[in-house]
Amino acid sequence: MALTTQRVDVPVIVDESKCLEKCQACIEVCPLDVLVKNPETGKAYMKYDECWFCLPCEKECPTNAITVQIPFLLR
Amino acid sequence: MYDDINDELNPWVEMLQSSAVEDRLVAVKTLQHMGDEEAIVPLIQALEDEDTSVKKIAITAIWELTNPIAVKPLMACLRSPDAEVREEALSALKELVAPADLLILLDAIEEDNFYMQLNVLILLRKIHDAQALPYVLPFFESEREELREAAITTLRYLNQVETCPPALALINDSSAVVRREATLTLGYLKDEEVIELLCEALTDDPDWQVRRNAAQSIALHKDTSAISWLKKALSDEHWQVRKFTARTLQEIADDSVIPALVKCLTDEYSDIRRDAAIALGNIGNPEVLSVLQQTLDDPDADVRIFSQRAIDKIRQQQTTVNQ
Repeated sequence: MALTTQRVDVPVIVDESKCLEKCQACIEVCPLDVLVKNPETGKAYMKYDECWFCLPCEKECPTNAITVQIPFLLR
Repeated sequence: MYDDINDELNPWVEMLQSSAVEDRLVAVKTLQHMGDEEAIVPLIQALEDEDTSVKKIAITAIWELTNPIAVKPLMACLRSPDAEVREEALSALKELVAPADLLILLDAIEEDNFYMQLNVLILLRKIHDAQALPYVLPFFESEREELREAAITTLRYLNQVETCPPALALINDSSAVVRREATLTLGYLKDEEVIELLCEALTDDPDWQVRRNAAQSIALHKDTSAISWLKKALSDEHWQVRKFTARTLQEIADDSVIPALVKCLTDEYSDIRRDAAIALGNIGNPEVLSVLQQTLDDPDADVRIFSQRAIDKIRQQQTTVNQ
């Protein structure tokens, strides 16, 4: 599993201005456990560039802070 | 605050009382994920939260717990000015309401609130109880077309309702949406005028969906007095009307519609050619055999298959008669 170096390139984009520090919803629902909290900011981000595009993280986020960018061929 | 709540839930239940919306959002989301039945009371209280996101998540959480005590609090959300809250509450209630909740629904429908009335009319379809009829009837004359449409739709879900004269007038409603539902509902009513009204709608209504629904409803009645109207509808300008008319004629046709059905064998839509071939097979007149033979070269495989079946059926009937 490759560590991502550039967060903008990963499919799960977290809007940090909306992400709630105490919330763990997306981390709990991710079946691949690739979302984690940044210990410095308390915001969620995609640590590993592995995604099934299953979308519970986007659906469960209470503030709609998550956008999953689905590749064109999977749409 | 909640002595009977376990230690695992307690911090989140307390957080639900926080003045910060963000904390309440985290708390309600976490309680939803925990799915613990003990959280039902705090979640019901969260339905009164001033923030619509908290309210919406609380509704979803209660929905997942499927506890019948939540029916009444969820009903209150049906009058919310926020469309998302109303939709979520309605979806939850569609799964939660049971026949025992009929009186709660009937109380709510008398409230002078458009959203509440509309949503309760929809929920009454889940209960199918004819006791609701007197409460549904006044909406046939409502000024809002949404309420008239919901009421006439609900009527066909009520068991044991066989006649309902006030419903018949809606087949001539000014709104096409109401007329579409009225024609479908009339398929389940047994009033004397029903067939005549459906036949008029089938041929004269300006909306093609009303005409199509009328053909469907006539099929439910299987009344042979409609045959001459169905014959006329076979040359309707809209293909769906022709298709559903041909289907209805599969049930009730006689020799008088054979020329019109034969004409449909050359329709530009294959569904109509297929349904006409089936109807001709059901009539069983051997005179159409030569015409059906010609459709065996149809470009559509479905038409060829059903034409062959119609031919076989007619021949089989002939053999039985000769024997």
